[in-house]
Amino acid sequence: MLLSINHLQVQYGKQTALDIEQNIMIEPGDRIGIIGSNGAGKTTLVKSILGLTNYKGSIQTELKKEEIGVHMQYNHYANTMPVKNIMETLLNTNIKNNNKLQDLIAFFEFEACLNKRYSSLSGGQKQRLTIIMVMMQDAPLTFYDEVTSGLDFETRQKLMEKLIEWYQEKDNALCIISHYYDELELLADKVLILDQGKVIAFGNKEMLFEQYCGHAVITIDNCEKNDVLTKHFNHLLSPGHLIALSCQDLEEEEKIIRVLVEHDVNFKRSNHDIEIMYINAKASYYSIEGERAGLRPGDLKEGKNGGRYEYKAV
Amino acid sequence: MEAGMNIKQCNRKLIKYEMLNILGNPFADFFGVVFPIMMLFIITKAMKPEIPASGYAEACTTIFISMSLIIPMALLLLGYAATYSQELEKEIPLRMMLFGYPERATMLAKIIAQAIVTTAALLVYSIAGVIGLELTVPTIGAVIGLILCQYLLGVIFFGLAHGVSNLFHKFGPTYAVMMTVYFGMMMLCGMMGIKAKNLPGFFQVVSRLLPMSHIGEDYIDVWMGRSYNFVPMLQAFLFLGAVSGIVIVMAGYKNRRARG
Repeated sequence: MLLSINHLQVQYGKQTALDIEQNIMIEPGDRIGIIGSNGAGKTTLVKSILGLTNYKGSIQTELKKEEIGVHMQYNHYANTMPVKNIMETLLNTNIKNNNKLQDLIAFFEFEACLNKRYSSLSGGQKQRLTIIMVMMQDAPLTFYDEVTSGLDFETRQKLMEKLIEWYQEKDNALCIISHYYDELELLADKVLILDQGKVIAFGNKEMLFEQYCGHAVITIDNCEKNDVLTKHFNHLLSPGHLIALSCQDLEEEEKIIRVLVEHDVNFKRSNHDIEIMYINAKASYYSIEGERAGLRPGDLKEGKNGGRYEYKAV
Repeated sequence: MEAGMNIKQCNRKLIKYEMLNILGNPFADFFGVVFPIMMLFIITKAMKPEIPASGYAEACTTIFISMSLIIPMALLLLGYAATYSQELEKEIPLRMMLFGYPERATMLAKIIAQAIVTTAALLVYSIAGVIGLELTVPTIGAVIGLILCQYLLGVIFFGLAHGVSNLFHKFGPTYAVMMTVYFGMMMLCGMMGIKAKNLPGFFQVVSRLLPMSHIGEDYIDVWMGRSYNFVPMLQAFLFLGAVSGIVIVMAGYKNRRARG
């Protein structure tokens, strides 16, 4: 066990930013995707683990703070500083004598950036700079907080490919915070869903998918024709533009696909769709909470952070 | 675990990094190195026709002493506040900490780097003054005394800039406050052409609370080996040091509260 969280609570004034009741354990080699909307408590969780914010409860780990690698949401350095100096100072090394660092620089095609000033790097190059330095730390536990946010699609794809390739068959535990579900589908083997400071779900990606979505999910465009066509199948909650159909087993899956093919409907099949899983896990959590609070479907419930959410029966 | 993972101490790379950080601020370079030399030569040239030849060397020396005070003011009071407040705003000290540099290591590197750059700027200024002006020859004690005053002022300005940056955690308000303090001090201490004794009554009182006005106007007596009462100057140092200390304590208190 690398790190264990028990009953963690963080308050910012009167506002509860994080209220984790269950035990969360991070094991060596874990790839944990952390999802949640803005204000869900994702960054607060990282800050608590790093001891950057005061909290109640316990975070048990034998790792020292400097043994945890962190790519924060925003990573700035002195604007006028040459990139080479930033890298050599922060890592306390010389690039020309450090083969591993040279390999990483080459791996990320970063050679041309070394003599530039930090201010003249593009967004993607700035991200790569921190990633190289964080990877160079080779920490037993590393957090990547929204590592690709603000980047264009192509840069994002390339960066993720590099991350996946680098960490393949490595024992480092990674916690990846992202709003891009496709990234988490590629990188994560466990998922932690946070909302309004609460843990909605935590566990193995496949198990959570099975729990909230079934054996597989088939998604089709949301239109009246498709809605009528699939009304006898089990619908899951989904983004507005899609209809998501839950398949509990292979038989049901084949049945749905047959109908869709017969009616010439394009579909997508997935057994790890994190977005659908996230939406349904959240709805399931609040339905249980809602029932506990005596709410009826459609009722609005006051959230912990002042926000309001609709109680939906699932 | 890699070399990058252990707790790092203040080292040569970090000091070099901090020196580049200071020199990367073009305003600090200009106001801390070029501006005092420029002012020194402009003022001494402008006053030459109005001063009898016999008193010119002493007048030049007074201006030389007075303008030298701009160096710690520009580099430490203004320059450090500008750089450090930007760092705080961008959470760069946190980034350094996450890469294994504890706050005390980065602070020590900053102090050493500031001391090196300030010393270099004072040396350049002194060489320019000695080569370009007719200066009177001081006593050894007067030179040592002036150097001590410069470094003591440097420490106080560093503390004040550090405290104000930590109070605001933002470049904008920090720079606004420090610019006001910088130009206010320059005006009150006779560095903008008006001598402190020619200021209106209230401003004269405030001016005497600042050690720069004592150094700028009276240190020539020490330089020339004449008798001088150090007590008012020491009191002014104590006053400014206390202000700096109070600001640091306030900033520390505010940051502890903000952390929860």
